Amino acid sequence: MSFSKKLRSGKFTVTAEISPPKGTDISGMIKEAAMVRGIVDAISVTDNQRSVMRMSPLAACSALSQEGFETIMHLTCRDRNRLALQSELLGAAFLGIKNVLVMSGDHPTKGDHPGAKPVYDLDSVQLLDMISRLNSGVDITGNVLEGKTEFLTGAVSNTELTGAALMKLEKKIKAGASFIITQAVFDSGKFSEFMDKIHDTCGKQTKIIAGIIPLKSEKSAQFLNKNIAGVKVPDDVLRRIKEAGDTEAVAPESVGMEIAADMIKELRDVCDGVHIMPIGTHKNTGKILKMAGI
Amino acid sequence: MIISRQKEFKDILKAIEARDIFIIGCGKCATKQHVGGEPEVLEMKKKLIGSGKNVVGWAVLSSACNLSSWDEVLSQNPGIEKAEALLVMSCGGGVSIISALAERAVYPALDTESLGGVCRDEVVLEQCGLCGECDIQVFGGICPVGQCPKGMRNGPCGGAVEGKCEVDERKCVWDEIYERLKSLGRLEDIKHIHGPKDHSKRGRKN
Repeated sequence: MSFSKKLRSGKFTVTAEISPPKGTDISGMIKEAAMVRGIVDAISVTDNQRSVMRMSPLAACSALSQEGFETIMHLTCRDRNRLALQSELLGAAFLGIKNVLVMSGDHPTKGDHPGAKPVYDLDSVQLLDMISRLNSGVDITGNVLEGKTEFLTGAVSNTELTGAALMKLEKKIKAGASFIITQAVFDSGKFSEFMDKIHDTCGKQTKIIAGIIPLKSEKSAQFLNKNIAGVKVPDDVLRRIKEAGDTEAVAPESVGMEIAADMIKELRDVCDGVHIMPIGTHKNTGKILKMAGI
Repeated sequence: MIISRQKEFKDILKAIEARDIFIIGCGKCATKQHVGGEPEVLEMKKKLIGSGKNVVGWAVLSSACNLSSWDEVLSQNPGIEKAEALLVMSCGGGVSIISALAERAVYPALDTESLGGVCRDEVVLEQCGLCGECDIQVFGGICPVGQCPKGMRNGPCGGAVEGKCEVDERKCVWDEIYERLKSLGRLEDIKHIHGPKDHSKRGRKN
């Protein structure tokens, strides 16, 4: 069943995030994808994430499609103006890419090309709106297309929202986002509050997919807290993984897997899917999903 | 006000090969920000002499970007004629105007950053994005094009943590816009989708 069909059917979806290679050799990426073959509904492919230059997600998605994987192509506003975004999208549609995940994109100063020109010709709301137009057969200026796109579009969100951030999320949904993938969730209680907020302000038609980052160590948890906007590993989770590191009876990585599996179990009745974003590799993703009963 | 910052002195020295230098400061924005007024010009003179340059004179023009007659500047500052190079401590506007009139090598001592202002004696940066189609009233009088590093017009990006911008130490301008409009009872102004900027409006119109 395709990702969009499964999402629309109301079944719980599982997606996995993969990065294109920094270079031309895709063998590592294909190996990563093979680790989640048959256990996820789609693989999402990042777009120069954290502003670190990599192969284009369009090429990477195309390569994964040829290997039989359904993909979700990430598309940021950072590197392309409205012409480039649209031509990339037409190319993606031609190559059979069905799903697009839209985001502003980390600022270039955060990555490995800090002197690059930040483009941001459109923001994520305007990009979603533009894709809705492409889906209806016209470009952003109203010119008629020879063949329209049929993308299922998604957007991203943090789970702790200021008034301004909630307002923007409402606009993303209004502009055509059919699903929202959230930043990593470590606190199901707070996540439920986020779900309530969305349901109250935006209704229930948009599918919400919770981000999951399996922790590897206390250090990785501290890194997330310090460096990744919108991620907050709470103290009790930090303690749980720290104790594992201290006693050495259980590997912190195993505890990280348990934490992730427990979170997925708790979220199963709360939202519409989970999105696994491991630090490094998907080697444990299958096990985590099994532990979570998926 | 045009916001500028002083270049590193070693970079200025590296750029200027000439020995005989005349320094020009600016009495407007650069003076206000203490980057190109009299004290800074005198400090520059000291440093240049200390580095083996010959400073043939200096002046602080009332406004480096607004010169009606170069002859008048020359008559008041004859030292300029003896200089191989002019070192201008003003924004890029002033450097360009002087370059157009001076008929000799002109070097900038400042890097021009943004269009800002002075608010209650405090220099404020990036108040305007020079987009050429101002609709600042929609955002409670706070320009997201100038103040958000991504120029976001529909709300904040996901990079702000506890109200702090992901790029540097500034606060997320979108929290400010939201709070101001909320206090004015005008949140409706930002609730609809704002379209992309028309970049053909940027810059000169004919």
